[in-house]
Amino acid sequence: MLREAAVSRSHNSDESLFQQVQKGRRDAFAALVERYQQPAYGVALRLLGRRQDAEDAVQQAFLRLYEARATYDSRRRFSTWFYRILTNACVDELRRRRPMVSLEEWHEPEAEGPDHSVERAERERVLQAALARVPVEARIVLTLYYGNGLGYREIGAVRGTSMNTVKTHLRRGRLALRKALRARGMNES
Amino acid sequence: MTKRRNQGVRRGQLIRLHAANEDWLRAAFAPPRPPLDLARTIMDQLDLRFHARRFPVAPERLNVAASPAGITRVFLKRGGDQTPAVRAAGHIGKILEQAREELREYLAGERTFFTVPVDLSQVPPFERSALEMAAQIPYGEVRSYKWIAERLGKPEAARAVGNAMASNPVPIIVPCHRVVRTDGSLGGYSFGLVRKESLLELERRRAAYVGCATTKIVCRRGCQAERRVREGNRVSFVSFEDARASGYTPCSICQAA
Repeated sequence: MLREAAVSRSHNSDESLFQQVQKGRRDAFAALVERYQQPAYGVALRLLGRRQDAEDAVQQAFLRLYEARATYDSRRRFSTWFYRILTNACVDELRRRRPMVSLEEWHEPEAEGPDHSVERAERERVLQAALARVPVEARIVLTLYYGNGLGYREIGAVRGTSMNTVKTHLRRGRLALRKALRARGMNES
Repeated sequence: MTKRRNQGVRRGQLIRLHAANEDWLRAAFAPPRPPLDLARTIMDQLDLRFHARRFPVAPERLNVAASPAGITRVFLKRGGDQTPAVRAAGHIGKILEQAREELREYLAGERTFFTVPVDLSQVPPFERSALEMAAQIPYGEVRSYKWIAERLGKPEAARAVGNAMASNPVPIIVPCHRVVRTDGSLGGYSFGLVRKESLLELERRRAAYVGCATTKIVCRRGCQAERRVREGNRVSFVSFEDARASGYTPCSICQAA
């Protein structure tokens, strides 16, 4: 209990927390799970569209992360490594999924709890439905850029592509998203 | 001159429009709040997979709810919730007590079937029939979502069967963990995939049937008669077919057939 409190109180960087995980500290891993669960869940939900699938993918990603803990090099950025494992877990899930989830299943009327505003829930619903029309790689880039605040360079490192490819996907993604929103009679502004 | 100024105005509007779009996108993509128990579930699964624990699900974390007709829900207590289970009196209290006892025995590998009544009257008809089909999958075996869909006469409804399993109000007792994907991968589980894996692993390790060498009667593991069989007379069988082939007859209490 005491050790757990000590970890959450200190402002440890992700990298030093993960070094502690490598030394066998379970509480350090718990702190990282706490820190990354929301951004991770956001990515998975945007990519997979269904809450249950998103939860499974996030769980898988954290377990893979832990399994691969020995291979992590603490001079590299933790978030890059984590997002790579996470997006790969989501892509695996998408590949395995047959047939593709129909559009009707994408928008989830109860996707948000009662503590969120109606406006927010509506935006969520519209976005999820429109995202289904955006190609997977562009969807990943859009989500990491707008949802998780990653820069071009880091997204490139996460997905193993160049910065220019990232920019292209971002541009295409925005266009596809806009088209899908218009097709649904929605305007993003 | 006028033309250039007009262009300037238009460019300004465009920049404002662009900025508004960017703001909209950032607001729209903001990560939604994850389910309350996500972090806890992840850590539980971690402990389960990497730091071997005795139970696939800790019995004290399971909670049950019942109507007079039977068990209506089996669910995990919220993280950090230490409150002891409610002890209801009378008929419902008895049902709850029986469910807790059977769940504990099942998780310890001492029981392979449930006798506590289940009340699925609040579940919509299609989901209910899918769950009833899942309840017939024998201990230690798995079937695919498609298998259930076909049995229900709707071979194209595998995904709907998946949804029915995902919304199973009484996991473990109705063994939706025995339903997996056609390609052999696990699919989903409301208690977490590692728990599903670990429940199936538990079932694989335990022979489902126990026979008595002197009476030549075979019981399902967990039957009251099975528990009275003396150590030297116990014979384990993986399937009832094996037992019958060895000349055993099914027990009338647990109806092993």
